[in-house]
Amino acid sequence: MSLWRQLSRGLRVLARRAEADADLDDEVRHFYEETEKSYAARGISPLEARRLARLEVGDATVIRERVRDYGWENLVGTMWADLRLATRMLRKTPVFTAVVVLVISLGSGAVTTVFSAMNSLLLRPVPGVADDGQLAALQPIRSDGLLLQQGSYREYAYLRERSRTLAEIAAWGKVALTIAGKGEGATIWGNLVSGNYFDVLGAHPSLGRFFLPDEDRTPLAAPVIVVSYAFWRSHLAGDPSVVGRSVLVNGNPFTLIGVAGKDFHGIYTGVRADAWVPVMMQPLLRPRANLEASSWLWMFGRMNDGITTAAAQKELGTLLSSRAEAEGEPRGPAGFRSMAVFPFSGLPGGEGVVMFRLIAVLLGTATLVLIIAGVNVGAMLAARSATRGRELAVRAALGAGRTRLLRQLLTEILLLFTLGAAGGFAFAVLATAALEQLPVPANIPLQLELSPDARVMMFCLATSLLAGLVFGLWPAFRVVRTDITARMRDGAQTGGSGRNLIGRSLIIGQLALSLTLLVAAGLFVRALQRGQQMDPGFTMSRVLTTTFEAESWGYDETRSRAFYASLRDRVAAMPRVAAVSYTSRLPLTGGSSTEDIEFDGKTINVQRSSVDTDYFAALQIPLLRGRAFLVSDNAQSQRVAIVNQSLSRRLGVEGGVLGRTITFLGKPTTIVGIVRDTKYATLGESTPPFAYLPLSQVWQPTQTLLVRSNEDSEWLGPAIQQVVIALDPALPRPKMSSMSEATSIVLLPQRAAAIVTGALGLIGLVLATMGLYGTMAYSVQRRTREIGIRLALGAQRATVLSMVVREGMLLTGVAIVIGVFLAGIASQLIEGFLFNVSPLDAATYVSMSFAFLFVAFVASYLPARRAALSDPLLALRAE
Amino acid sequence: MNDRIVDALRCRERTRLDEPTTDVIQGTLDMLILKTLSLEPMHGFGIARRIEQISKGVFKVNPGSLLTAFQRLERAGFLDSEWRQTENGRRAKFYTLTRAGRKQLDIETADWARRVSAVTRLLKADG
Repeated sequence: MSLWRQLSRGLRVLARRAEADADLDDEVRHFYEETEKSYAARGISPLEARRLARLEVGDATVIRERVRDYGWENLVGTMWADLRLATRMLRKTPVFTAVVVLVISLGSGAVTTVFSAMNSLLLRPVPGVADDGQLAALQPIRSDGLLLQQGSYREYAYLRERSRTLAEIAAWGKVALTIAGKGEGATIWGNLVSGNYFDVLGAHPSLGRFFLPDEDRTPLAAPVIVVSYAFWRSHLAGDPSVVGRSVLVNGNPFTLIGVAGKDFHGIYTGVRADAWVPVMMQPLLRPRANLEASSWLWMFGRMNDGITTAAAQKELGTLLSSRAEAEGEPRGPAGFRSMAVFPFSGLPGGEGVVMFRLIAVLLGTATLVLIIAGVNVGAMLAARSATRGRELAVRAALGAGRTRLLRQLLTEILLLFTLGAAGGFAFAVLATAALEQLPVPANIPLQLELSPDARVMMFCLATSLLAGLVFGLWPAFRVVRTDITARMRDGAQTGGSGRNLIGRSLIIGQLALSLTLLVAAGLFVRALQRGQQMDPGFTMSRVLTTTFEAESWGYDETRSRAFYASLRDRVAAMPRVAAVSYTSRLPLTGGSSTEDIEFDGKTINVQRSSVDTDYFAALQIPLLRGRAFLVSDNAQSQRVAIVNQSLSRRLGVEGGVLGRTITFLGKPTTIVGIVRDTKYATLGESTPPFAYLPLSQVWQPTQTLLVRSNEDSEWLGPAIQQVVIALDPALPRPKMSSMSEATSIVLLPQRAAAIVTGALGLIGLVLATMGLYGTMAYSVQRRTREIGIRLALGAQRATVLSMVVREGMLLTGVAIVIGVFLAGIASQLIEGFLFNVSPLDAATYVSMSFAFLFVAFVASYLPARRAALSDPLLALRAE
Repeated sequence: MNDRIVDALRCRERTRLDEPTTDVIQGTLDMLILKTLSLEPMHGFGIARRIEQISKGVFKVNPGSLLTAFQRLERAGFLDSEWRQTENGRRAKFYTLTRAGRKQLDIETADWARRVSAVTRLLKADG
């Protein structure tokens, strides 16, 4: 009741200030009139009565002010006045304001950009999903403790039927789909999903409907498909009438029953899906996978009310164990009996942790930049308050209390930092847009959505204001605490050497931190160079590649084999083509397939890929012994394999490996050749034992074409595309890329890290240099009189110049020593990314220090020159 | 010269900051207002005069304190106010006790009585 009264009456006063004042005046006047009347009634003359009444009642203005002081609404009024005054003060010094806002924007922008990436990768709910905290991700844990991402349909069906803690469990797997509606077909990533997938997610279609329970009961019963909003707009012309019509999916007629919500692209952050098909259609769309037994399904579920992830995890573990005991499942290291239950997120458990660590490091680095910016602004505010001392003293003398003055200064600081936050947010919008443009390989549907949202905006404002309180408040306190009358006497001459020492240490700190960042950036650039020059063991130049998803065209194995063979023969017949081959896995794209082989009673875990006959010629990998694969190695002949040096050594019969038989994929396989070690998954890896198998014997429907030509030939890519279309006009046009483009993802961490630390380091350098310049300029200004006297007494301008420059260089020197020391420690943390570039790489440290020294020299030379050129007479009159 | 101005300004600052004292015992003004209004609705000056008369001039209420107290009591929900005509035909703001105000008066009266008897006992014990 009374709170309501407080609020409503306060608001009424705010809204109608003049009326409230008039009422109050009227009440006071009533007192005058009545008092006057009572004096008059005692026979006192009207004039005297009026005087006495004034005396007794008191001054009307004083009364009014006292009454007006009551109530929260007055605070609003004062704050508004403070804000207006603050705006006026800042507009009086536009250059100062602009520089301060710019500095805050850079610092805040750095932190906000990183936070925005963190927000969209880790914090933001997956777009289009209604998660009320009851959604959970399920990930199998192998008996040996390894956390997996996917499980099989058998486990899924078993748990879905029996779980009591989870109301529903849904599953999905990846599938390449070629969809032909109107015009040319397109190959996209889709998901094979359980019938309840959309319901569990709480997603809503923007057109049509999602799946019915009946559409996911019997294999191959319901050829229906849902596409993404973006796909519907780009490939189906945004035509609402396509819902209910037939489209060709991998060559089979499907009914398009719905279009998903606008932002929905599946639930795996960064990888976009554009179509959804019931998992029961798997035999048609992904025939090689075994629906029941292969582990290819991601699972998630909706927990019942009041169930925690721990409780669900316990129940699922019990269910899986009892099943294993009942069915006598083999318990190899690959078998699993428990299921990890995580809160739902777009990144699976293991990956989320890695991403979190990376972003935490970046956020820490960006925070350093914000601290540098804050310290800088603090120093600038302190310098300015020194010149504002007189103004503040006058205001204090005229009756402004200390709290009032402090509030006024605080308002100015918060206004500056709010403007800085706005700048920082704009910075983050641009920077995230630039980061999204980082090159990613064409054959992975990576989609990074990093742009800031409302949460990021709040974060940006909050961090800026916090920085304002931390770095802006102490100069304000200092001003207000200083004896005001002393200030009035001495003008701007105060500021002892103690403060100077603090100021200097702050400058040194900033310079040192920014040098640390620059050294880190330099190391990443060196690693990037090293990575680009690193010999992967094969030749990438003049190799064109493209990847075919034959399964997604509805091709069976016979048809795929025919297609791949005719394409190879026709491309090989083109002029200046040196070699044509296929591989099931392009090297240096980050992934690997591993397999256990048996030899001589030993089990060795090896990586493998299936390749076509001319593979080693196409990539120019030297064959050391034995022979390459031949056309005669076919499905009927003896299984053969070619091993790398590492595997040959591991088998332990150097020289005698050729012709020996190993058990590979359960079949006796003869080793027919040894090739030189190369890089396989990544550039930084230690060489694994590796085995190549002929595609003719270990078939893979997805293959990457490799074409080596004798000279750079622009026409080759389009020519290959034409051959593909000529072989089957229904196929989507393949995207051709050079081998180095296709493998660019292998250097993505180094490239991204070099860009981010480089950008942060440069911002840090700019800020620190501005800080140094400001300090030197301020010091020169304070010493105007001293310099004037020196010049007047005949000091050489060069002497003055070197005096000032020496001071700046001294600060820089100390900063370099500290910065190099810090960099030496910090760089140990990134050693793993550096491709054997030493974290103490001398060239980087020396070149960065010199670059740094030069910039610092310029920053102290400019104020020094101004001091040296000043007119001694003017300098002496300055006070 | 400069110093003298500053000292003068400081002086002024000090007087301004000094709180004007009321003649009413600290903390009892609210109770006196509520009590006065428990008889009938009244305007500000009327209340001031009533307190002065009944206390036989012992308590003199400063208009500034009184008007501030009205604001406070009204926000707290103990008073309502409306503009009415006085018997002299002047427009004035009349204050009325609300039900909550009446309850508050009972509480404060009881509290006051308790304090007075305590203080009285202490004084007697001394003699």
